[in-house]
Amino acid sequence: MPSTESDSLDRLPPGVTAVIAALDFEEADRVRLMELGFIPGSSVSCQRVVPLGDLAIFQVEGTQVALRKDTAARITLQPSSAARNPDADSG
Amino acid sequence: MPTAVEPRTETQHSLPAKNRAVAICGPPNVGKSSFFNRLTGLRQKVANYPGITVEKRIGSLRLEDGGQVDLIDLPGIVGMHPRSEDERICVEILRGRSATLPRPAAAILLLDSTNLQAHLRMVPGILGLGLPTLVVLNMADELEARGGSVDTEAVSAQIGVPVVLASAVTGTGMREVVRFLQGSLAPAHKVELPVINNIPGERKWAHSVAAQSSYHAPEPSLWGRRLDRIFLHPVGGPMIFLAVVIAVFQSIFTLAVPIMDAVESAIGVSAGWIGALLPDSMLKGLLLDGVWGGVGSVLVFLPQILILFLFIGVLEDSGYLARAAVIADRSMRAIGLEGRSFIPLLSSYACAIPAVMAARTIENQRDRLATLLVAPLTTCSARLPVYALLIAAFIPERPLLGPFLGTRAAVLLALYAAGFIAACGTAWLLKSMVLRSKPAPFVLQLPAYRWPTIRSLAFRLIDRSKIFLRRAGTVILVTTIVLWFLASVPYQDGEPPPIGESLAGSIGRTIEPLVEPLGLNWKIGIGLITSLAAREVIVGTLGTIYGMEADEGSPALQQALQAELSFGGAIALLMYFAFAMQCMSTVAIVRRETGGWKWPAIQFGYMLALAYSTGFAAYRVFG
Repeated sequence: MPSTESDSLDRLPPGVTAVIAALDFEEADRVRLMELGFIPGSSVSCQRVVPLGDLAIFQVEGTQVALRKDTAARITLQPSSAARNPDADSG
Repeated sequence: MPTAVEPRTETQHSLPAKNRAVAICGPPNVGKSSFFNRLTGLRQKVANYPGITVEKRIGSLRLEDGGQVDLIDLPGIVGMHPRSEDERICVEILRGRSATLPRPAAAILLLDSTNLQAHLRMVPGILGLGLPTLVVLNMADELEARGGSVDTEAVSAQIGVPVVLASAVTGTGMREVVRFLQGSLAPAHKVELPVINNIPGERKWAHSVAAQSSYHAPEPSLWGRRLDRIFLHPVGGPMIFLAVVIAVFQSIFTLAVPIMDAVESAIGVSAGWIGALLPDSMLKGLLLDGVWGGVGSVLVFLPQILILFLFIGVLEDSGYLARAAVIADRSMRAIGLEGRSFIPLLSSYACAIPAVMAARTIENQRDRLATLLVAPLTTCSARLPVYALLIAAFIPERPLLGPFLGTRAAVLLALYAAGFIAACGTAWLLKSMVLRSKPAPFVLQLPAYRWPTIRSLAFRLIDRSKIFLRRAGTVILVTTIVLWFLASVPYQDGEPPPIGESLAGSIGRTIEPLVEPLGLNWKIGIGLITSLAAREVIVGTLGTIYGMEADEGSPALQQALQAELSFGGAIALLMYFAFAMQCMSTVAIVRRETGGWKWPAIQFGYMLALAYSTGFAAYRVFG
């Protein structure tokens, strides 16, 4: 399964849920991302990758948030926390 | 003193007699504005993407005991660490550090009951302010419809303040809210909240409160995902956006025309009545040519503006606009901005003033500056009367794409595109030279899709009509009256002079050399001066000038223009209005938002240069 190998959020495939481990940003940016739901310990799933762009839409703490891939790359996931989410949209 | 929450000894709180300001706060998209509307019935903009409520809005509510409460609708915040300008304003007001507003006497924290686990995280921060607080769990109707439930008394028992499950849409729970405002709703228990100063800790606490309040989260709404699949489709998404935009422009011309004809004939008929009632005098001339001719010719455009705002309102309230920002992020990044800049740029299609203020939601200060500098280039609704007049006079209507797109709508679309391209190009220049900056992480919350309510759309349209009519009644009225006087003096043999020999005429002739290279005559030149106050003033000005010139009755303004202006001159005039900063209110707001005259001066200068040079080129090409 490719999902278990992903250790940063940008590599989380659509339809897979994982748990956030850490955020690698300067303090102000880190606080902002946590306020928007990217909190260590929270479950996050990738809903879809936006066409023609490097944005992806994530479901976290009950809200949908769009992130650029380079931002998502700096959010690490707990190893082996990834699991397929039957609810999520795989397309 | 207050650490997390101050236990109150009395079972009731009462608002101080002098200060009865109550702040409504909470995360974005929990329905704060609808809630505010429900309570006050006052005009208020409701939107569905983060940070639209950038202006503080105050409304009042009469209580049964005869007292009055002032409600302040604050911009959405996601925590107590503000980053953008509007969040800073909200936190400052809540902490009592605002220069413009006193510290509120109480707070209402509005949370989304369908996402309670996440939203309860806001509670410790807000209660830590030490204000008497009511927590409202909004969207009760949606919670119930999707099979969720919560025990509000259990929540209240754990957080130590009253908690109400409410719906601003259906009105459920609003009675309890009013009871709180009367000071007669208090918690059953007093509770010390744990002092938490880290977000993971707050999250854990929030989840445990939700769990102990037998909170059942509602079923996720599946149609939201289905809609995303359509609107964010690689090919379909952008095409839908384009189709929507074309539909808006086409309906501005087709749908609005019968209503506009009705308004026009009503103004004509009423002018006839007034003419019959009044004896021939200077006052009659002022009323008929100055006021009726000037203001009336602008009033005709109200239906078109309302149709435009209706469409923008539906796009915003439905949640579609945030998806459009996601689609736009890539193109925005190509010009050095981010998807978020797209939202102020889009709202500047309605009016640059809210757009300049909406730029406060942009966290990066250089991006914010670039956005507000280019926002007035996008086509605001005040340009619509000018465009509509010139297009109707100079562009013959022919079908282009069958019944879907005619030549007039296409020209209008092209003008909108020209404004947008100019805005993007300028932003790119600014961002690659003077306002270069390191890219910040891009994060955008996507609100859930919602049906726009008739109520909220009606509030918008009423709001817009009021603003438009106020402008027609003040700025436009005053400039047309002043112009009328300038055009009526000096009297010759007890008669007003021919317009060319009046004071207005000689001013016009003085500046004629300046506008001649654009193919414009001195009458239009006067219009360019008066419309510095507001763009649509030119329509009233031309109405006054041509109305006075006419020998018998005033000819239709369109015909007068056709006789006076060449096709190239008309295109040059369109270009001038597309790019020039003909709006003193925008200059004033940019000065306020940037804290000085430097940026508004630069903005005025570059826009004038762009307007003049493109107008000149257009006259050369089409002349």
